[in-house]
Amino acid sequence: MSLVLDILIATVPLLVIFPTLFAFTTWLERKALARIQNRVGPDKVGVPLTRYGGRFSLFGLGQPMADGIKMLFKENIVPRDADRLFHLLAPILALIPAMLVLCFLPLEFPWTDSLKPVQAFLLDGAVIFFFAITGLNTLAVFMAGWASRNKYSLLGGMRAIAQMVSYEIPLVLSAVVVVMMVGDLNAKEIADFQTGGKWIVGNWFLFTPWGLAAFVIFFIASLAETNRSPFDLPEAESELVAGYFTEYSGFKFALFFLGEYIAMFAISGLAVTLFLGGGAGPGLDAAPWLSVVWFIAKIFVLIGVMIWLRGTLPRLRVDQLMGFAWKFLLPLSILNILVAGFAWHATQQDSKTITVVTWVISLAVLYMTAKGLNQLNRAKVRPRNYRYAE
Amino acid sequence: MTEQIAFWILSAVAVLGALVAVRKRNLVHGVFALMLFFAALSGLFLLLLAEFIAAVQILVYIGAVGILLLFAIMLTERVTGDDDRRMTSRGWFWGVVIAVAVFFVLLLPPIQQWPAPETVPTPEPSVEKLGQRLMNPYVVTLEVLALLLTAALIGAVTAAQGKRLAKGEEPPE
Repeated sequence: MSLVLDILIATVPLLVIFPTLFAFTTWLERKALARIQNRVGPDKVGVPLTRYGGRFSLFGLGQPMADGIKMLFKENIVPRDADRLFHLLAPILALIPAMLVLCFLPLEFPWTDSLKPVQAFLLDGAVIFFFAITGLNTLAVFMAGWASRNKYSLLGGMRAIAQMVSYEIPLVLSAVVVVMMVGDLNAKEIADFQTGGKWIVGNWFLFTPWGLAAFVIFFIASLAETNRSPFDLPEAESELVAGYFTEYSGFKFALFFLGEYIAMFAISGLAVTLFLGGGAGPGLDAAPWLSVVWFIAKIFVLIGVMIWLRGTLPRLRVDQLMGFAWKFLLPLSILNILVAGFAWHATQQDSKTITVVTWVISLAVLYMTAKGLNQLNRAKVRPRNYRYAE
Repeated sequence: MTEQIAFWILSAVAVLGALVAVRKRNLVHGVFALMLFFAALSGLFLLLLAEFIAAVQILVYIGAVGILLLFAIMLTERVTGDDDRRMTSRGWFWGVVIAVAVFFVLLLPPIQQWPAPETVPTPEPSVEKLGQRLMNPYVVTLEVLALLLTAALIGAVTAAQGKRLAKGEEPPE
């Protein structure tokens, strides 16, 4: 009985909180993008879906609900030549891994005193499992593109595979740094390792040279993993209609949408766990439940940056995308592992001077490498060669 | 009890996936059925408390091998996956014989220990222990393997690059 209760306590909040946050995030994203583009954004639908009467409109917060209802009632169109089974399975497969990896995040829900805090899936190898299962997302994208029997869809699917496979490598390699420093693959251990210290941000890996480099690499790669702008080539609307979900409508499309945002939450959650101290924050001694709040607040900071980047950066070209992953991020993340290895040994000495010197040297090495790689990869600008015009 | 139920479900899915992977004539369907098989296998590893192997099973077999297969299919002319050509299978008899023989060889260790002991010592499931083993007695093996993989990688890059262009030479159109 208590086992069932534990399972429910651990999983139901995940299934309730994150889809709710998804609804809120769509509203937030539309509002923020509108603000960046000097528009107003959704502002009509209010609390009981009122359209008129400014008192209830609440900045358009009812918009996600209206969107959801619209999606539910839309017709589900399947192309005649499509592979019907795979066309149906793809959106489901897109959602499952995203939801599943939420279990590996060190989120505990100690709602009452009588119940012990429960984490959904406490594994020794949580970080490896996280990467393994996020990788399945690629399959869903490919399945959707292939099953639609549409050239744009297939092109989007192929782009997605190439992009996700390339960016998975720097993603994992940058996480290796944190795993090396902690000496554990358990997400909870990694989060606990970063608590303490003099200030609130005492031991966060973000505030070490190697951790900072790893975080930047991780964040960029996670943008590519979740098909966010500026890496949204698989769904580039100016080139491929809508990419792999061109032929999706109604609730299947909504599932893709949901899966994409849940994946964003999940990978931001992993970034928070690895680099931003997990649920660490002020006031935890008085109220342990605040750790969940801090965790989600940190996720939302990262999501905010993602929205901001989407509003301000143009999309990359395919060759730029690939070159950036293989010629810049990959060498930098491998070097970062070396730097972290030396730094770990140096900081074991427990001497202030050695620590400071290590920090300065590693910061300099990482910075110079990034600069050098940037110089090496800079496209050579030649006078333009017109082949077909003149 | 729960483990037993999970074991039977996973085994059924694994067998079904493997059968579909072999029998389906549509290549892409076959690859996805194969991935289903790998996923079920990973679940079985998880039941045996071998969580690292389970994760690697997903990471390598579904994430890498499966995607590679899909890429390979996309490069052939049968992108759509429809194929009505019948596969003729002469010599199926020897195929069955070899399959049964391999199955028997795989089953040898448990058969030798028959009847099974009542209690099996549960191994300590730990990624840490695995890492220490890799670093301590097996470090040379690990390094040799890494060298081999690097050599393969460099070889693949060289093979893919083709002829090296001399300075100033324009690539062929």
